[in-house]
Amino acid sequence: MADHLVIHRAGISAVQDLGRFGRSRFGLPVNGALDQFSARAANVLVGNREGDPLVEVAMLDFSCTPSTDVLLAVTGAPADLTVGGVPRPQWEPTAVRAGETVRIAGIRRGARVYLALHGSVEAPSLLGSCAPDTILGFGRSLRDEDELAIGRGIAPIDHPVLRHPVFRLGVPVPPFPEEWTIDVTDGPDIAEFGASAAKLFDAEYTVSPQSNHIGLRMRGDVPQREARGEVLSRGVPVGAVEVPAGEELLVLHRGRGVTAGYPVLAVVTATGLSALGQVRPGQRVRFRKRSVEEAVAAYRAQRNTLRALRKRVSTVFDALRIPTTTPAPATEAL
Amino acid sequence: MRQHVAILDCGDSAVVVKAVHDDADHRWRAVHALADALEEADLAGVHGLVPTYDSLLVEFDCADTDHRSVRRSLEAALDRLGETPEERPSKLFEVPVVYGGEHGPDLPAVADQLGLTEQDVIDLHSGAELTVRCLGAPVGAPMMDGPAFPAPVARLSSPRTSVPPGSVAVAGKQAVICPMRSPGGWPLLGRTPLRVLDLHSERLAPYRPGDRFRFVPIRPEQWGEHAGAPLGAADG
Repeated sequence: MADHLVIHRAGISAVQDLGRFGRSRFGLPVNGALDQFSARAANVLVGNREGDPLVEVAMLDFSCTPSTDVLLAVTGAPADLTVGGVPRPQWEPTAVRAGETVRIAGIRRGARVYLALHGSVEAPSLLGSCAPDTILGFGRSLRDEDELAIGRGIAPIDHPVLRHPVFRLGVPVPPFPEEWTIDVTDGPDIAEFGASAAKLFDAEYTVSPQSNHIGLRMRGDVPQREARGEVLSRGVPVGAVEVPAGEELLVLHRGRGVTAGYPVLAVVTATGLSALGQVRPGQRVRFRKRSVEEAVAAYRAQRNTLRALRKRVSTVFDALRIPTTTPAPATEAL
Repeated sequence: MRQHVAILDCGDSAVVVKAVHDDADHRWRAVHALADALEEADLAGVHGLVPTYDSLLVEFDCADTDHRSVRRSLEAALDRLGETPEERPSKLFEVPVVYGGEHGPDLPAVADQLGLTEQDVIDLHSGAELTVRCLGAPVGAPMMDGPAFPAPVARLSSPRTSVPPGSVAVAGKQAVICPMRSPGGWPLLGRTPLRVLDLHSERLAPYRPGDRFRFVPIRPEQWGEHAGAPLGAADG
C-alpha cells in the first residue's frame, strides 16, 4: 500500500491549494487557502511548490499519523504542535517518524492552521485545482479515519537519539492579534457613500458567526450609501467590502460569487486578505486605508519574503541531501 | 474602442473596465469582445476575467504584473477591436418553472412592490425571451435582462444563506437562475426542476452570453416530469 497519512481527528479540515484560477468567466470563484501567505510558507518550508495541495485546519484540534517518515511544516494561527507527544515549533520544517502522531491543538487568536508535507498529499482535482468549492459540491472536508496518500516520504533527518529540531529557518511570522487591523484601498463605488465612507475607518466591527470562506459579515457602525437605485450586477473582486442596505458589512473572500450588485465601498488588499483569512467569528476588526501603490508594495514584500525563504530552504535541503535515500548526518540547529 | 471605456483601479489586484456608450447592447458586446481578446492574449499574471453587462473585471497577481501593464494590454486590445464589437451568436432555451408557493416564496412581495397581481408577474416573466448577458454568481448562473416589469425589483435587505438549486429570481432589471444551492440576495419567483449545469464539462454550462431563455409555467404536480433532466437548447 502506498504511503499515507491517517487522519485520527479531522476537526474542520480539508485538502486545499491556492485556488482554481482562470474560470471566473464561467462564474467559478477562485477559492483556495484563505490565508495564502501561511499556505505558501508551509509549502516552501518543506521544499514543495507554493501551490501544492496541503491540509487546512480550522479552529478545532487535529491529529494524524504518517505511515512513513515525513518532513512537515505547520504554519498559520498559533497552536500547540506536538510530534510523538514532544512540542515542536510552528513555522519550521519538522521531521516525523513513521507511526508518530502529529497533534495540532488549541488553535488560538487566528482561525486557520496549514499543514504541508514534503512531497505533498494527493487529492482529486477539478479544473486544475483541488480546492474545495462548496457551491459546486466539489472536494470535501476530511473525516476521522480518512487516509491521504503521500506524494513521497523522506528518510529520517533528525538525530536518531537526541531528536533535536534540525531546522531554524526564522520565517517572519505575521502577527495574530486579538483585534485585527485589515488594510483596504478605496473601492470603485466609494463616491456613492459621501462623507459616510469615513465611518469605515472610525468604527470597529465585530465578525458575525455567519462568516465563512465566501465572506465575512461584520456588525458595527455601517456607512450609508447616499446614491439611490439598484446597482447592475458586475464582477466584484475577492476582498470587496460590500454594503447591503442592512446593518452589516459583507466582506467577500475567496469563495465569493464572481458577480454581485451591492455597492463596493473598499477592497481588502492582497496582504489584508491573508490576515482576514485568520479572523475568527466574535473577533473585532478595524480597517486601515492604504493607497494601491502601498498595497502592491506590501504584497510584493511578502512574496519576496517567501522567495528568500525558499532560497534558505534549498540551501539547507541541499546540505541535508533532501530528498535522499541515505540518512543524512545528524546536524545541530542550523 | 478606447474612447468608449473607462479603466479604473479596483483594489491592488484588479482593474475594472466600464463601457461608456449610449447603446446598452454596444456596451455589453464591447466588454465581452474585450474579454475574448484578453483571454486570447493570455497575459502573464492575469487570472480572472468577469465580463457582465457594461463592465469587465480583470483580476491579476500584483506580484507578477501591475496596473499599468494591465492597462496597456487593455488599451492595445481595444485598439485592435476597432469601433463596433461583433454580434454574438444566439440559441434558445426553454425552462419549465413552478411559480410561487414554496418554490417562489417572494412572488407575493414582488407583486406587491410592483403594484401587480402575482399572475401579472408570472405573465411578464414567462412572456418574453430573456437574453443571457453573462455567467455570474453563483457558479455559472445565467444573468439575463429582466422582464418588462414597471419598476426595478429591490434586493433583499439581508441575503438568504441558502437558495435551492434551480431557483428563478429577479432583482433590479435583471433575471437569473441559481444553478446550485448557494447564498443569495435576489427575490425568488419560482424554481425549475431541470439540472442547469454539467460539472463534467470544461465550460460547465450549455449556454453562453447572447443565448435566450423562455420560462414556461408548469404546475407543481408536473415537477416530476422534468426533475433532474439536463437543460438543453430548444433549437439545437
